Amino acid sequence: MFSQDVFDELPSVLPVEQADEEMGEALEHSVQQQQQEAHAQEEEISQEDAWAVISAFFEEKGLVRQQLDSFNEFVSNTMQEIIDEGSEIRITPENQLNPGGTDEGAEKEYKIKFGQIYLSKPLVTEHDEETDSLFPREARLRNLTYCAPMYIDIEKIEITRTPEGDSNEDVTKYDKVFLAKVPIMLRSTFCSLHDCSDKELTELGECPYDQGGYFVINGSEKVLIAQERMANNHVYVFKKSQPSKYSFVGEIRSVLENSTRNASTMSVKMLTKGVKKGSAAGSVIRTQIPYIRADIPILILFRALGFVADRDILEHIVYDYNDTEMMEALRPSIEEAQPVQSQELALDYIGKRGSAIGVTKAKRIEYAREILQKDDRDHYANKRMDLGGPLLAGLFRLLFRKLCKDMRQYVQRCVDSGKDINVPGAVKTQTITRGLKYSLATGNWGQQGQQGLRSGVSQVLNRLTYASTLSHLRRVNSPIGREGKLAKPRQLHNSLWGMMCPAETPEGQAVGLVKNLALMAYITVGSPSAPLLEFLDEWTTEYLEEIAPSVIPQSTKVFVNGVWIGIHREPQTLVRTLRHLRRRVDINTEVGVIYDIPLKELRLFTDYGRASRPIFVVDNQHLLIKKSDIIKLQQSEGTSYGWNDLVSNGYIEYVDTEEEETTMIAMNIKDLAAARQNPQGAYSSTYTHCEIHPSMILGVCASIIPFPDHNQSPRNTYQSAMGKQAMGMYCTNYQHRMDTQGFVLYYPQKPLVTTRAMEYLKFRELPAGINAIVAIACYSGYNQEDSLMMNQSSIDRGFFRSIFYRAYKDEEKKQGSMSREEIELPNPDNTMGMRHGTYDKLDEDGLVPPGTRISGEDIIVGKTVALPEDPSGAVQRFSKKDASLALRGQESGVVDQVMLSTNDQGQKFVKVRMRTVCVPQVGDKFASRHGQKGTIGITYTQEDMPFTSEGVVPDLIVNPHAIPSRMTIGHLVEALMSKVAALIGSEGDATPFTDVTVENISHALHGLGYQCRGWEVMYNGHTGRQLQAQIFLNPTYYQRLKHMVDFKIHSRQRGPLQVLNRQPVEGRARDGGLRFGEMERDCIISHGAASFLKERLFDQSDAYRVHVCEKSGLFAVANLKKQQFSSQIYKADSNIVQVFIPYACKLLFQELMAMCVVPRLQFGKTK
Amino acid sequence: MGGDKKRSKGLPEYLELQRTHVHCGPDVNKHTTTFTSANVFEPLCIDNSWNLEAFKSDLQIEVNHLDDEVMEFDLIGVDPAIANALRRILLAEVPTVAIEHVFMINNTSIMQDEVLSHRLGLVPLRVDPKLFDFKLAEEAPSEKNTVVFKLDVRCTRQGTRLINDKVTSNMLQWMPAGSQLPEETSCRFTQGQAHLVPSQQEQKGKKFMAPVHEDILLTKLRPGQCIQLEAHAVKGIGKTHAKWSPVATAWYKLLPEVVLLTDDVPESVAKTLLDAAPGLFVRKPDGKLAVTNARHHEKHLEKVRVLLDQEAIAQVVQYRKRKDHFIFTIESTGILPPDVLFEQALSILHDKAEQLANKL
Repeated sequence: MFSQDVFDELPSVLPVEQADEEMGEALEHSVQQQQQEAHAQEEEISQEDAWAVISAFFEEKGLVRQQLDSFNEFVSNTMQEIIDEGSEIRITPENQLNPGGTDEGAEKEYKIKFGQIYLSKPLVTEHDEETDSLFPREARLRNLTYCAPMYIDIEKIEITRTPEGDSNEDVTKYDKVFLAKVPIMLRSTFCSLHDCSDKELTELGECPYDQGGYFVINGSEKVLIAQERMANNHVYVFKKSQPSKYSFVGEIRSVLENSTRNASTMSVKMLTKGVKKGSAAGSVIRTQIPYIRADIPILILFRALGFVADRDILEHIVYDYNDTEMMEALRPSIEEAQPVQSQELALDYIGKRGSAIGVTKAKRIEYAREILQKDDRDHYANKRMDLGGPLLAGLFRLLFRKLCKDMRQYVQRCVDSGKDINVPGAVKTQTITRGLKYSLATGNWGQQGQQGLRSGVSQVLNRLTYASTLSHLRRVNSPIGREGKLAKPRQLHNSLWGMMCPAETPEGQAVGLVKNLALMAYITVGSPSAPLLEFLDEWTTEYLEEIAPSVIPQSTKVFVNGVWIGIHREPQTLVRTLRHLRRRVDINTEVGVIYDIPLKELRLFTDYGRASRPIFVVDNQHLLIKKSDIIKLQQSEGTSYGWNDLVSNGYIEYVDTEEEETTMIAMNIKDLAAARQNPQGAYSSTYTHCEIHPSMILGVCASIIPFPDHNQSPRNTYQSAMGKQAMGMYCTNYQHRMDTQGFVLYYPQKPLVTTRAMEYLKFRELPAGINAIVAIACYSGYNQEDSLMMNQSSIDRGFFRSIFYRAYKDEEKKQGSMSREEIELPNPDNTMGMRHGTYDKLDEDGLVPPGTRISGEDIIVGKTVALPEDPSGAVQRFSKKDASLALRGQESGVVDQVMLSTNDQGQKFVKVRMRTVCVPQVGDKFASRHGQKGTIGITYTQEDMPFTSEGVVPDLIVNPHAIPSRMTIGHLVEALMSKVAALIGSEGDATPFTDVTVENISHALHGLGYQCRGWEVMYNGHTGRQLQAQIFLNPTYYQRLKHMVDFKIHSRQRGPLQVLNRQPVEGRARDGGLRFGEMERDCIISHGAASFLKERLFDQSDAYRVHVCEKSGLFAVANLKKQQFSSQIYKADSNIVQVFIPYACKLLFQELMAMCVVPRLQFGKTK
Repeated sequence: MGGDKKRSKGLPEYLELQRTHVHCGPDVNKHTTTFTSANVFEPLCIDNSWNLEAFKSDLQIEVNHLDDEVMEFDLIGVDPAIANALRRILLAEVPTVAIEHVFMINNTSIMQDEVLSHRLGLVPLRVDPKLFDFKLAEEAPSEKNTVVFKLDVRCTRQGTRLINDKVTSNMLQWMPAGSQLPEETSCRFTQGQAHLVPSQQEQKGKKFMAPVHEDILLTKLRPGQCIQLEAHAVKGIGKTHAKWSPVATAWYKLLPEVVLLTDDVPESVAKTLLDAAPGLFVRKPDGKLAVTNARHHEKHLEKVRVLLDQEAIAQVVQYRKRKDHFIFTIESTGILPPDVLFEQALSILHDKAEQLANKL
């Protein structure tokens, strides 16, 4: 982090206009300058105007730009690059044993070259090889994969070399050979929906609000979750054999994947006993660290890091002081480090051995300290994100190599056997097609059956609420150490500002590891470094090979993507021009320019996966963007003046996490004005940038929270998680979709109090909640412990009613030619194994017609499998077996829609959608937008509810105890503002970090004749008397969460058992038992109810009777019908005892016996 | 106002005020309870028992406003229990007729059957509930307990115009002859219901046996979509489902009073009060401060209340409410006029009281 004075020394870190010199002719220049001066004179924009800029950003980019950009980059560039990487297959015939044959003498060589690839629009190939263009809707409904065929030019070169040395090349070209089918990301450049207008989208059955950015694989929508990564840090321990100096070496290589950056190696070594010149015990432990050439005794390193006392150090190496062997092994090391007994000394010791020789001791210490603390692992500048594109690229590379390998083998075989090479036939089209599909469908990244593949990379897109879909598309995952209880990587790091949402992260195991992008974060897609290198060459960068080492300390080192290119003697001019060119888009806008003054380093980054964000450029304490630009933006209808113009004019630039450290960013536009007026009182006199709006640090879910800046921070996190479970309208085309589950609210409302970001999240168009009239009161006490009282009359009138959809799928599967499935109405006369559910609701075709009321285990799709005919030819009663699909037990509803189609194999394919109305009832879950969730405790009809002097009755009554300890002030402010908004008939603005205060709102409310804090005089509905206290009664936006009692209610007396251990099965869906666990067991034991305990754990679980031979103690053979018992060992020579044991116990005995362990039961004497 | 002084039970003045008035403070309303028991003032040797004669002479009803939908009246001289009982009965126990069963013949609109049926149920129907019996669950629908409506709409395109793209409540057709699908609905009328429509003059220009409002939007259609259904309305009460409630709401509030406790109000206080609530506080010709009737300045009352946390003002002004003076409002859904509803509520209360008396 840079201190203030660094900037003070360098007042011209970012001058822009000065670099204009090379801008061409003088005349044009002066005109331009005049214009610019005029522009500069203009009025500064206000914070409100910034929203025009933000709108321009979202208009241009949408909310899933990172996904789309990354996929486009993959298809248009990376794929071809991968093909070109290893583009040649070279085959020479292996000498075959050719007895009697004559050697032809000519030497042949074959080369296969891959050329240009071509991608068509998405297509389906039906089972009869007919192809047709494919749109996502059809893919989703028919469980197809939304993919496009890819073709490639292949060249076969046959080189014949005669023994005379002549060579003859014979080139055959195969144009556009089918290579693979590549899944296409929706709304990418290659998607059929690209550039469709809203009307066209609607006609294609798509939701115009859908943002794309996902794939459709076998009908299900899959998102690629961005994967965060670092160097793969593994510790390797090697045992070295005699000739080596060391007996053991532990190594850790810090490498950045796919990067040219140097590996940073650290190793810990143990010397072989007594090698070092006569040192007492010998086997000391040394370590090698970066920047330091010599090995450092391990203890000294520990001391340098601040662990001075031997005991402290030992504690970190040997966890158990009684472990004498370990202690003994460390003794030589402790002795070796004896002379160095303080951190200062240790640092100096290390400093002496580094490159800082011949400087003062203080500097040496400083240098060593720097080395030891250099990198902050959790700093976001040290992180890269792999989005869809790079992930697919990795997979594609793997699969393409496999294809080449297979092809090579095939060609080799052809060549060896002297056959003609059928090049198009050698291309196994299924390799890449299947490989991509497998990974996208399962989320296992890598080849099937391979070890150590990453899982969960591709996930089924969450379609509960529109916001949850958006948030899912912007998720980032850090795959490391989910189990590790290391806290650091989970913590919110300063560098995440503006890149990752500070509130939105799951609770529990993945807290802080799963992150979500902030609204305006931009992930770089990567650009070639060549133009940059060219530029550096032009601008007199001295290459590393050409310079004497002695000049390095005086000049600035230049790094590109971590590679040391050379040095530069005037870094400031260089940086200035670089930034200037970047702002003119002569250099790619996403290039990161980091000028590290203390280190004398200029680092440039062009790689993909860096997090960056746009901010206003400030020059001389003035924003470069002016009022006229805002006006141009607002009147952009005809001119198409937009975001890109702002960027190319240099008003806004993208700054990545590392570059951010070298900037001075003003939080508000006002701060700049204040700094101009009162430079002494300003935080900085050298602002280089200004935030567009501080509320843009939040992500999708947190942007829905009104007044999040008034809440305790974990409450915002809770709401971010809960907003994803709220019901509303998840897309506009839900009636055309066959989602396995879908919740839709009857009457969703846009909130009375909104945030500005909601405009971009389409929360008004696809809302997920209702403005309820909420009283904060105890009333009767049926709202204790986070429960709510709800107005039954409101429910009757449609308050929070919702519809639940569930789609069932069935198809005719074909297994060989023998067993064929058929969807039909099963005939009980010739079908065996029919279910208990009723078949009466099926139509002639074996499907339930829409509008049928269904419940319980009713059959909704009748299906049979033909039984194989009896080889003996005997007449069988049954010719078919039932394979019908039944409705889930516990569920009931009405058949909403039935879809009949064929799948890609041409088989009959059915989807049946069921619908149920969910009326709020006791136990259903609701939440405000402030992490205040609760279930209904009671419903009261209107006459029982309290009423105000205006006759207003609350819809909900929340307990006041929910407020003080949770400190969700935002909830109260929202309520207050909602009342004002409702009274004046407008929306309230609850965007965080604005000037709205509670005092403002209260004042407005008071002016409308209401109590200023939103209190109302109320009358008790039961007694009719006025309530003593005034009640906080205001509208508040509430959400209905998907958890409803009807989906949870469960009980069982008897029911299915597990096959293996005959204990009750688990789970409501299987009608399972309720576990009587350890803690329940403890309670009963302490209660002394032994019989009850035995009943729960034995009689009601897996009681079993066995007969045991008394002599051998082993199970006997019992024939209960004939009352014959015999021991298997002693036959009739022994007594047989009847024993009741748990079936699990019997199983254990038998398993032990299978392992040749004899468990014998012994019987005591009973009186 | 003022007439209540004669009912004073001879309590000391401050106790009498607590008995008759709620005292409104900036945060809390004090003395909200009513003293109903006979012996509360026994230590003071004052009898608080209920006196029928006194009640009779004190009870007063003054209608302030009455139209087809809203009635506001003052109910003076009763306990909150009585006023509340009337309110509760109005909300939950006065019967009306509303659509209960919907038989879908065809519905190709985007609105799900359940949602459409629910919306139909909430449409207020101008059907006199007195003409019908309650339909018991086991009873078959008949002309005695069921009113049948039909909805048959198809949206078509005529040039650029859409016909029937909005389905409104006036499209519900009354079927005096009963269900057209007796097999499916098991609803059979032996004689029609046409005679139930009141005569022309009784109708007073209103359409009976039809929705009260003609323009309630039920759903929207696109060309080619259609809705065919039969809706059976039955009699019920608001307790079962809010759709049978004859009122949008019915409520009361206590009569507000703002009183000056002293004649000579300090000028600074007078100025604050005049600024906060002009109209409620006025200056008499002699320059002294005076209060007008508080109920005509409701918007200012909250402003007065806030000022009460200032000591100087609390000493001069009191904001209180009469405990036995209710400003009662009935907002009818339009099925029955509010005055009729009030009468019915009274008769239901009467029946209940009688039932109780019989059982005692």
